[in-house]
Amino acid sequence: MSTQKKRNFKIEAFKHRVEVDPKYAEKTWKILEHAIHEIYNHNASGLSFEELYRNAYNMVLHKYGEKLYSGLVTTMTWHLKEMSKSIEAAQGGFFLEELNRKWGDHNKALQMIRDILMYMDRTFVPSSHKTPVHELGLNLWRDNIIHSSKIQTRLVSTLLDLIQKERTGEVINRGLMRNVTKMLMDLGSSVYENDFEKPFLEVSASFYSCESQQFIECCDCGEYLMKAERRLNEEMERVNQYLDAKTEPKITFVVEKEMIANHMQRLVHMENSGLVNMLVDDKYDDLSRMYNLFRRVPEGLSTIREVMTCHLRETGKQLVTDPDRLRDPVDFVQRLLNEKDKHDTIITTAFTNDKTFQNALNSSFEYFINLNNRSPEFISLYVDDKLRRGLKGVSEEDVENVLDKVMMLFRYLQEKDVFEKYYKQHLAKRLLSGKTISDDAERSLIVKLKTECGYQFTSKLEGMFTDMKTSQDTMQGFYASQSASDATDVPTLAVQILTTGSWPTQPIAPCNLPSEILGVCETFRAYYLGTHTGRRLTWQTNMGTADLKATFGKNQKHELNVSTYQMCILMLFNSSDRLTYKEIELATEIPAPDLKRCLQSLACVKGKNVLWKDPMSKDIAHDDAFSVNDNFSSKFFKVKIGTVVAQKETEPEKQETRQRVEEDRKPQIEAAIVRIMKSRRVLDHNNIVAEVTKQLQSRFLPNPVVIKKRIESLIEREFLERDKADRKLYRYLA
Amino acid sequence: MKEDTVKLISAEGFEFVVDKKAAMVSQTIRNMLTSPGSFAETEHGEVTFPEISTPILEKICQYFYWSLQFSSGKETEFHIEPEITLELMMAANYLHT
Repeated sequence: MSTQKKRNFKIEAFKHRVEVDPKYAEKTWKILEHAIHEIYNHNASGLSFEELYRNAYNMVLHKYGEKLYSGLVTTMTWHLKEMSKSIEAAQGGFFLEELNRKWGDHNKALQMIRDILMYMDRTFVPSSHKTPVHELGLNLWRDNIIHSSKIQTRLVSTLLDLIQKERTGEVINRGLMRNVTKMLMDLGSSVYENDFEKPFLEVSASFYSCESQQFIECCDCGEYLMKAERRLNEEMERVNQYLDAKTEPKITFVVEKEMIANHMQRLVHMENSGLVNMLVDDKYDDLSRMYNLFRRVPEGLSTIREVMTCHLRETGKQLVTDPDRLRDPVDFVQRLLNEKDKHDTIITTAFTNDKTFQNALNSSFEYFINLNNRSPEFISLYVDDKLRRGLKGVSEEDVENVLDKVMMLFRYLQEKDVFEKYYKQHLAKRLLSGKTISDDAERSLIVKLKTECGYQFTSKLEGMFTDMKTSQDTMQGFYASQSASDATDVPTLAVQILTTGSWPTQPIAPCNLPSEILGVCETFRAYYLGTHTGRRLTWQTNMGTADLKATFGKNQKHELNVSTYQMCILMLFNSSDRLTYKEIELATEIPAPDLKRCLQSLACVKGKNVLWKDPMSKDIAHDDAFSVNDNFSSKFFKVKIGTVVAQKETEPEKQETRQRVEEDRKPQIEAAIVRIMKSRRVLDHNNIVAEVTKQLQSRFLPNPVVIKKRIESLIEREFLERDKADRKLYRYLA
Repeated sequence: MKEDTVKLISAEGFEFVVDKKAAMVSQTIRNMLTSPGSFAETEHGEVTFPEISTPILEKICQYFYWSLQFSSGKETEFHIEPEITLELMMAANYLHT
């Protein structure tokens, strides 16, 4: 009894109906036709479904399917024509309502008709390749109503009028709109597209083109974007409310093109309110709006990115080349960091952390930081300042934070080796003067440098820490061995033994130490060489510090914290009251520039002028005379006498450092060349340069001219040779 | 007459009250009962079949319940007496079962 079984049998006509009344078909059709009329007239409740179904069933069974079908078409067409007349007659706003109501009627009637004619749909329609009843009903509706000459254009213009009204702020009957567009979609997507969507998009395009023109004339960039965003949302909402979902990308494309893409350049560069102003004023909302809108159009983000990069480079360049800024390195670096923070925040809050924007930011920083060749020095000075003073009493977390930021700037540096050079100098000063505020912070930074640049980069820095530690142990050992013969009068000595090479020391002629000190020094030398044979010990008198107990005029006692040089000078006044500059120079043999600085800080700093200079002036002249300032007073017991040190390097010092850096680079370049040639055997010039640059870029950016010179030097020393046939090729000589 | 039952009446006037759920095994009856513009059948909850005799309609009703069970997984045989086969077939075609 299942469908399967049924197909295996030929079904004979129902036996009750074997007699074929010649008028039978006509009579039956009349019944059905009447029923269809009744259905369209909302009079169906008196009809028996079973009876109608049975009649239709029998008609099909008795081969009158064709008559039934064509009768249906005629009857339905007639009704639709009637409907069309009443729709056409509807005035103004009632037009759509009438259309919608008739559509509802037709739909319901169509469903009922389909149900009673179901047997025809099942058997006759497929076998004779006709359109099924439901689809037939829709097609007839389309042809007789929607495409009737008096309705078609009126329908489109009515719909577009309503949308236009809604765009200008009026409230329209969205439910009705939804029903009508739904009807168009039911009639097939081509009907919706041709009779509504296409004209809708065209009208929208011209509307927005016009509106955006207006807006751009009278709004600033932020306002414009806000309006564009609102329009875009309105359109999306409209699609959501009463249009086909497939329209959304099309209409948003229209809005994007007309309101954004066409005005992109003008918006970005708008005077006083464009992208640059937004960046400067941290307008996160506007920026994020711009990002989200521009992201929708091709080239949108790259436009923002280009302008941002351009702006960053311009401001960055001003920042690093402004001579005013160069006076204060700490401030200089702080400004760089602030700039970076500012733009980082913009990218995270407004640009959804977009990777491409981060990259643009990084490359801009890399670009302008390296415009100033003092950046490595300044960054190191900044660290120096932070580790000496700035980070005092700051939580560990914050210290890490600052260090991470410094590392970020460090990453931008091309001349990392220059940074290393300065960092070494500054670190040495910090360690030797005991000024560093946190050993942990120092070590943490070195670990960071190590992960960034490898072991080689930090090995010497680490060596410095090791030296500090061993020195402590040595001093303990020294005093332990001395305790037997201790004399209270002997000054306490603290020696730091520095491994040559690890520290940025230069061989310097030691000054003449006071005899008291010299004695202890000799004892220590004996002790040290006694425990470590085969070593050489030289004194770096330009680096140490000393604490002196001094008694001034009115029995005022102070402890003076001074440098080794200053100690040597002050000790001279134990034996004489008044000394001239020349006498001091002769007695101490301190190099002239250092001596001048020391004297300046001893005599010319207010509140710390333990010496009296005659004549009293800022600068030290060769025939100035000095005596102990008996009137010296200070509210502190301990007085720290700083040296007037140029924190930043002076021009000649800078040149010198640079030269040393250049010298240091030579062996590194050579080593890189040899490494490369050892594995490649034969290589042409350009490739060597490229490879060397690649290998060394974590430390510095080698100059191709220098690389060429190094190659020549290696050829001279017979590490390489030129190929005999091709002069551009080099060969490695094992 | 309860909401979820329907009365099926044979040619001879015998009435069978069956669950709507069972009756709707027939696609034709389903349409009769669910078609939107209330037909007479939907309003009264009864359907007359002037062309189906009582024994056939009875068999059909039995089939409705059997079919429900069958589709919920209980696979048993549905026995049909050979003498009513033809008539039953035609009724099935009519009822789209």
